[in-house]
Amino acid sequence: MNTFPVGTLFALSLTAYLGGAFACLASWQKPTLCRYICCGSALAGAVFGGLAAVLGILQGTPLLWSFSSGIPLFTYSFEYDALAGFFNLTLAILAGAVSLYSFSYLREFEGKRNIGFFGFLFLLLLLSLIVVFTAANAFLFLMGWEVMALVAYGLVTFYHEDRETRRAGLLYIVMAHIDAGCLLLGFALLMQVSGSADFASFRTAAAQLSSGQQATAFVFFFLGFGIKAGIIPFHIWLPAAHPVAPSNISALLSGIVLKAGIYGMARIFLGGLGVLPSWAGLLVLIVGVASAVLGVLYALMEHDIKRLLAYHSIENIGIILIGLGATLVFRAAGHPQLAAVALIAAIFHTLNHAIFKCLLFLGAGSVLHSTGTRNMEEMGGLIRPMPVTAFCFLIGAVAISGLPPLNGFVSEWLTYQSLLAGYGATGGLTRILFPLAGSMLALTGALAAACFVKAFAITFLALPRGAESRQVHEAPRSMLVGMGWLTVACLALGLGATWFLPVFDTLTEQLLGQRVGTNLISGHGLVLSAGMPHGGTVSTAVIGFGLVILLIPSVLLVSNGARRFAWKRGPTWDCGLPGLSEENEYTATAFSKPLRMIFSALYQPRREIQAVFDVSPYFPKEIRFESEIEPTFEKRLYIPLRDLLLRFAIRMRPIQAGSIHAYLAYIFVTLILLLLFGVRP
Amino acid sequence: MTFFQNPEFGDRIITLMAALVLVLQIAAVGQRWLVSSIRIFAVQSFLLATIAGVIAYFNHASHIYVVAFLTLFLKAVLLPWLLEGLVERIGIRREIEPLINAPLSILIAGCLTLVGYVVAESFYHPEETSVRAALGHNTLGVAIALFLIGFFTMLNRRKALSQVMGLLSLENGLFLAAISLTYGMPLIVELGIFFDVLVAVMVLGILAFRIREAFDSMDVSKLRKLRE
Repeated sequence: MNTFPVGTLFALSLTAYLGGAFACLASWQKPTLCRYICCGSALAGAVFGGLAAVLGILQGTPLLWSFSSGIPLFTYSFEYDALAGFFNLTLAILAGAVSLYSFSYLREFEGKRNIGFFGFLFLLLLLSLIVVFTAANAFLFLMGWEVMALVAYGLVTFYHEDRETRRAGLLYIVMAHIDAGCLLLGFALLMQVSGSADFASFRTAAAQLSSGQQATAFVFFFLGFGIKAGIIPFHIWLPAAHPVAPSNISALLSGIVLKAGIYGMARIFLGGLGVLPSWAGLLVLIVGVASAVLGVLYALMEHDIKRLLAYHSIENIGIILIGLGATLVFRAAGHPQLAAVALIAAIFHTLNHAIFKCLLFLGAGSVLHSTGTRNMEEMGGLIRPMPVTAFCFLIGAVAISGLPPLNGFVSEWLTYQSLLAGYGATGGLTRILFPLAGSMLALTGALAAACFVKAFAITFLALPRGAESRQVHEAPRSMLVGMGWLTVACLALGLGATWFLPVFDTLTEQLLGQRVGTNLISGHGLVLSAGMPHGGTVSTAVIGFGLVILLIPSVLLVSNGARRFAWKRGPTWDCGLPGLSEENEYTATAFSKPLRMIFSALYQPRREIQAVFDVSPYFPKEIRFESEIEPTFEKRLYIPLRDLLLRFAIRMRPIQAGSIHAYLAYIFVTLILLLLFGVRP
Repeated sequence: MTFFQNPEFGDRIITLMAALVLVLQIAAVGQRWLVSSIRIFAVQSFLLATIAGVIAYFNHASHIYVVAFLTLFLKAVLLPWLLEGLVERIGIRREIEPLINAPLSILIAGCLTLVGYVVAESFYHPEETSVRAALGHNTLGVAIALFLIGFFTMLNRRKALSQVMGLLSLENGLFLAAISLTYGMPLIVELGIFFDVLVAVMVLGILAFRIREAFDSMDVSKLRKLRE
């Protein structure tokens, strides 16, 4: 097979990452050179990888390269089809942005931290992601998966002086190994049936799976990939681990490493397991709805800007899973066209979420870089010193809230459309689930918008609250370029959605045998339609145009008014209490109070007010206010589980005698018994 | 076909060598002097290298020559030399008291040989007998016995260094099984195993040294104290 453009570019990208990783390690004593090598090779790898992905998606036929390793079952097999292409494209877009951003971001590490080691881990993370996204052999896939988990651990604990960081790292690595274990079991089951570890053999052997085997494998894979993707209730590591990493790494972790879980689900559920029964799709759908709603509800209560973004990742993973679940249900019910639309919604949202979440994390990183705090309550007024960062963050916030005309809106709209179509396409009680899921998705969207009003307004608007935010400066140029590139991608994928969507034809054709791209486009390529009878239509290009038109009179009014009226600056009305300072501004806690009351059954908020009085009880001298919400999942699920484990461990203690001879004897006796057991024919 | 190309002849040689290896192993169980168990190991490894060489010759498998040479160099020369140096430095020349006395140990070793043959029997399918399968059948029993006796030696000894000897003969058993059943694993796997053994001996050597420094003795039973 002629693999010239794609194969060569793919190999070049692998080489750039791998070579860069070791070059970084070799040059660790020269920090500046090391920084150039790190960002340069990441950028080169991203450019090659991006070109390979674009060509790979467009050419339509899957490419397969396989090299023997001499070890049974293990082959170096890579498969480059449209699904791999889309995830590699996402990776390349983010890797490019993050490598540009890191060029200035890493400057503060010089002389303080080992950039060589950082660059090594960073480039290995990108490399392992490429391997995960293209591997066509279970062992190669797991190898990439494990390297990804370990390298990500190294990056999460990069600021290892902090106790919080080390705890988060531990939680992360434990969860990562539980998920790797689940995947290993799932693959072992498939290998037993197919007799080979190649993905292609799983696909041909899928018909031989009994329904019990299929269900067991599905559960293992769903757990394994789900933990990596951060679905509720396995999400607890995510808001702990993502915020403590360096910001450029948080952007990659939330942007693309979580998506490895989504990739795995799409790859296995739509390929290796055959046609899954509809309960599997419904399970994915329900878990998706739960993750979306709970993720955004927890995000609302956060004041740590990076933790807030991490909770939003859970929400968006939920939205992606809603699309994927709908795909599985439609496929099981025999509606391949609808399945294709839902799949497009899921994969497109994956791409979109990667872009705007990366953008938001980079924006948060710039804020953190110049203010030195993650607590939003101490920020405020940052739009004046950091206008470009604020603009980029605003675009990201609008996109993640699913507002037209940006990219998040398009994919969420497609998800709604497929959910609404689901009511007519299925029978029995399950059909009620679809409009229900749709309404939950609407709730999620509204809450997300509220959350980002809070995040943007408290951070960037009003007056600076804390001492930290008074002497801030705009981020260095390379960081702005990195964010700007993602901002452009958000705008382009939103306004140009109708030109982009037909690209998904090769993907849906390879996975579901359907081409629906042309059905989605109408009105001379300007209008997006749901591709089904009674479906809705919308046009982001027209909405965008309309917004620009609407903007003109207000701009005219303001500029006209500026000439006609005199401007006067004065203090805000202080209700007769003189001496109000910036600290008395409306806070994030206050903003989220109504929602804390509405959802108090979930949050179980606890608050404590202590007032110190001087003379009269009406004029307190000092008030301390403390409020926290109950971490439900930790308290109800994980702490009892941990206690159970500990009790079991204490029971097992007597056999841990501490004597080498005793341990050897255990092994010896087990070995002989197993051997004799194996002899019995 | 000349005499030297007759597979039957190769089979005889291999069986003879394997039997010698087994006898040496049982002799090592009753051994109290560290130096002599190291020398027994060296001879054993030499015999294994010969077996590998014979297999390579009769099967025209050139990569097994590499394996044979590596065995000869690493296990028959380098490791015994390293270990004797270690014994010299630590200054302990004999095992004071094994946990089980010598006659009983040899008896147990005999039983383990039996277990080895019983287990190997289940891999032997007479209906598909070829020269290859028969050859595997004979040596596999020895290999499993070697493995089990090596393990038993580790259990039976108190000194960290004599436990290393047990580990090494255990590894020899694995090697014999691999080479006689599959005519050599891929070279990369073999190299990995060799490297592994070398590293293990280094680490254990250092550990033995440290144990002696910390506890004034090489008795691993004293490691129990670490628990407190």
